[in-house]
Amino acid sequence: MRRDVKHLVKKRYAKIAASGGSCCPSCGCGGGNTSVHIGGYSEGDLAKAPPESRMGLGCGNPVSYADIKPGEAVLDLGSGGGMDVFLAAQKAGPDGRVIGIDMTDEMLDRARGAAVRHGFNNVEFRKGEIEVVPLEDSSVDVVISNCVINLSTDKARVFREIKRILKPGGRMVVSDVVTNGGLPEHVKSNPEAWAACVAGALDKDEYLRLINESGLECARILAESGYSEGLPEEIAGKLSSITVYAEKPRA
Amino acid sequence: MDILACPICKHHPLDLQVIRESDEINEGVLICKNCNRWYPIIDDIPHMLPDDMRNPEEDLEFLERWKEKIPAEIAERGKPFNLASKK
Repeated sequence: MRRDVKHLVKKRYAKIAASGGSCCPSCGCGGGNTSVHIGGYSEGDLAKAPPESRMGLGCGNPVSYADIKPGEAVLDLGSGGGMDVFLAAQKAGPDGRVIGIDMTDEMLDRARGAAVRHGFNNVEFRKGEIEVVPLEDSSVDVVISNCVINLSTDKARVFREIKRILKPGGRMVVSDVVTNGGLPEHVKSNPEAWAACVAGALDKDEYLRLINESGLECARILAESGYSEGLPEEIAGKLSSITVYAEKPRA
Repeated sequence: MDILACPICKHHPLDLQVIRESDEINEGVLICKNCNRWYPIIDDIPHMLPDDMRNPEEDLEFLERWKEKIPAEIAERGKPFNLASKK
């Protein structure tokens, strides 16, 4: 089902990009536009990002935990409408740079358009996959990602890529959906549920194990919140969003 | 651009052939000298996908449209698609 999933994910997010966004009610990746916080963003954060970049597709606020400093190079895996890229770009400043990678043309067009309209000169967008990142080894200070790695069918490879492209001592701060206890088999095998950030979610312990196995160190959960609202009974209470920190060894 | 690497073989740096530019590179080709793969830059965005996620029709159309401006070793022998394989 690997390839099917990839195409379905691509199709789904292309459609969301074209429609102007806001999350699928079934996915639990954030809220609607009426809530005060969209997946962990304060109103201050929301005001700093171009409105068209806010898709409400995240499940955390990795930039707020990443402590991005002026001059740093940041990579956002699965940058979507670009909201986290633009928030990171303001922290990295004119001497820093933020690169967004996404596999969906519609999302890239949206993000690129917002960058041009709002005069962000320190952001770049590339079409690519998070399992085969088109950056050289040891090239960025920070990797962020928001509710995207769960969509990958090869998460171990994603974490190995993160380790590869981080500079020694560089850090990863990612928000994602994980499960607490297994999901029913018929949910896990449903590609639609995969694209909705549910079926692809790993158990929390497994998620942390893959990070450790990749060679990243000091993995720890910085924030966690559960989902249940609007979800079917059989998965309610079993999904949560976590924001995870890990770093690449210095030597 | 300076930290872009080939997603497949991770070779760095990539060669850049500019096709059309204004204040940014609007169209161009990134070339991996190591594995001879090429990646199009379309509407300012480098497309750096692995072979199985590329669209052969779109890639060949791109090569056909810009073949005068793309090095022959890429247009005719580049991976994963080239104009010679089309014939």
